[in-house]
Amino acid sequence: MTTTSNLSRVTSIVLRYMRGPILSLIAVYGVGVTGMSLMPGFDAQGNPASMNLFHSFYFFTYTATTTGFGEIPHHFSDQQRLWAILCLYMGVIAWLYAFGSIIQLIQNPHFITAVAERRFARTVKNLREPFVIICGFGDTGSLLARGLSDNLIRAVIIDSDAERIKALVMRDYRVDMPGLCGDASVPKHLIDAGIHQPGCRAVISLIPDEELVLKIAVMTRFLNPRVRIICRASDRQQQQHLRYLESVTVIDPFELFGAQLSMAITAPKLHNLTQWLVGDPSVSLDCPRIIPPGNWILCGYGRMGRWLQQHLNQHHISTSIIDPEQPESGDTGQLIRRDADHQALISAGIEGAVGLVAGTDNDSRNLQILLNAGALNPDVFRVARQNQHENEVVFRAAEVGLTMQPSLLAARTILLQLISPLAQQLLEQLRDTDSTLTDILVSRLRHTLGVHAPRLWVTRLSCEETPAVAEQIASGAKLRLQELLRDPANRDSNLCCAPLALCREQRPQMMPNTREVVQLGDEILFCGDQRSRLLLAASLHNSYTLHYLMTGVEPPRGMALLWVWKKLGLAAQHGKG
Amino acid sequence: MNFETVVLGFFVILALALNLVFVVGDIDNPAQHNVWILTIAIFASLIAAGLKLGDRSQLGAILLAALLVANLLLIAARLVWIAEGDAGSAGLASEQMGLIVALAYGALAANLVTVLTLAADTLMSRR
Repeated sequence: MTTTSNLSRVTSIVLRYMRGPILSLIAVYGVGVTGMSLMPGFDAQGNPASMNLFHSFYFFTYTATTTGFGEIPHHFSDQQRLWAILCLYMGVIAWLYAFGSIIQLIQNPHFITAVAERRFARTVKNLREPFVIICGFGDTGSLLARGLSDNLIRAVIIDSDAERIKALVMRDYRVDMPGLCGDASVPKHLIDAGIHQPGCRAVISLIPDEELVLKIAVMTRFLNPRVRIICRASDRQQQQHLRYLESVTVIDPFELFGAQLSMAITAPKLHNLTQWLVGDPSVSLDCPRIIPPGNWILCGYGRMGRWLQQHLNQHHISTSIIDPEQPESGDTGQLIRRDADHQALISAGIEGAVGLVAGTDNDSRNLQILLNAGALNPDVFRVARQNQHENEVVFRAAEVGLTMQPSLLAARTILLQLISPLAQQLLEQLRDTDSTLTDILVSRLRHTLGVHAPRLWVTRLSCEETPAVAEQIASGAKLRLQELLRDPANRDSNLCCAPLALCREQRPQMMPNTREVVQLGDEILFCGDQRSRLLLAASLHNSYTLHYLMTGVEPPRGMALLWVWKKLGLAAQHGKG
Repeated sequence: MNFETVVLGFFVILALALNLVFVVGDIDNPAQHNVWILTIAIFASLIAAGLKLGDRSQLGAILLAALLVANLLLIAARLVWIAEGDAGSAGLASEQMGLIVALAYGALAANLVTVLTLAADTLMSRR
């Protein structure tokens, strides 16, 4: 290993700090003990005798540490008492110096950092389960960590803000998430965070400084060429740089916001389904908000507004823009170059508009726009951009049609990517085809899941992960997807669980037919409730249950009874009784 | 109704019942314990264990383990009876009888575990 180990660093700091105190203690002990042995004294009978070395050391030890047992083994002579006074002062001062140095050392910020880094590196090294590395623990990072914890995926967190890392310990995550305070673009920190470990699945950088994001991506690529990289970047040039690196997913929160909002307007059912799949508790599958087509007013025309207008124009929705700093450009649509106040909204045609997006990067301004718009046209569909996660309560109280939070959107998109790229592919395919496919999927999910909160998970069929399936396939049985979905409690009913996608030999197949025969090596993306997830995992491990699911027959498990059962021909007539 | 549950349940509960029949009474009074009951209990318990051979599930494993413990203790009790009963025509001393019944009490505990596990599994089971 070429890296400096944290252990040697901690040891060397301790040794360097303690060198002075230890040397002075040795010197004081040496002088005190020798002097005490040389002082003339008496033995038990009152004859002249000096103390032996062991007794002087014993005396010095309890004197220097201020324990003070008295004059042991015999009464001292005056010479000895004189030396004892000297011993006491020397010893106490040397010990005070040593204790002072230790206390100074454990309060030294460098030492504290070194110890924390060492503890972090050891925790990460002992991680056996797969994990991801999150660089940056701001709004998006903490939302992502919460989502990962709900899906029982571990994360290792690096952030340069010490307060955030301290707060991390206080959170009630369902899995352990070690945190390191430090600069994630320092290679040593990435190595401490376990980038070389086989369990490391992805490095996610959510740092606001996009130069650093690029630096982290490049270093990650060199340190571990196979690991996945997910970056948040909104700068076009940085995105270009990032895309040149292999297997990098770039998340642009502004583009995401524009795409999601235009999806909410043009394909409300798909938007509703997406929100429901990523676990938005306020969404139910039944009633997507239908927004009528017409003119939209966009307040705020920064990076996000541009993406939004681009997406809306693609769907032939006309827009009016209100922004004080809007530069002249060739875009179609009405432009009003001023603050989005009462007057500006009127001149943008709020009375005739169907929708309004309060999309500036300032939450209080957005709320003010919403209030104005509500007063001018109560029927207008109001969409709010919420920048700070802590303002959630206010936005909920504002009762707008749709609240979109860029950090939450980014966190959910990354989570979906981490659970399975299949989920993202499915949503992309639904977006690119007409809405009938979405309708089919929605009705299927509503039928199987009802009101249960959905969970997405991926099951890989392999000898290690699903031994029962491997056994059945090895015995020549044909295992169909629908048989996996049956309820182990009653074969005639189904689990609250539906397969969304099946990936075989790198070829994904969306919404697979339930009559499909599965093979080893298949990856199946399921959507279902927590109970179904557990029951399904249990059936895939238990070949008796799986056999029952496939045939409906439960043969005896013991060899003797199985033999009798076959002899009696019960196998043939079972199922009736 | 499951064929295996009926057959296995019969033998397991029979072994428990016979075991109980054997141990009731004063622990060291040879007149209150019957060697025939003990022998039949051993047979019932052996058959139950034999029926479980070949089951690869976790529950099958714990049932088999408990049945093996019961068998071991019952057979040990029977061996003590053979060894001590032969010694003289006077019959068993009360100390030896105490040992035999104590061993059977141990088997009773193992048999109880078996029956409870089987019952719990059957009740929790799907069908």
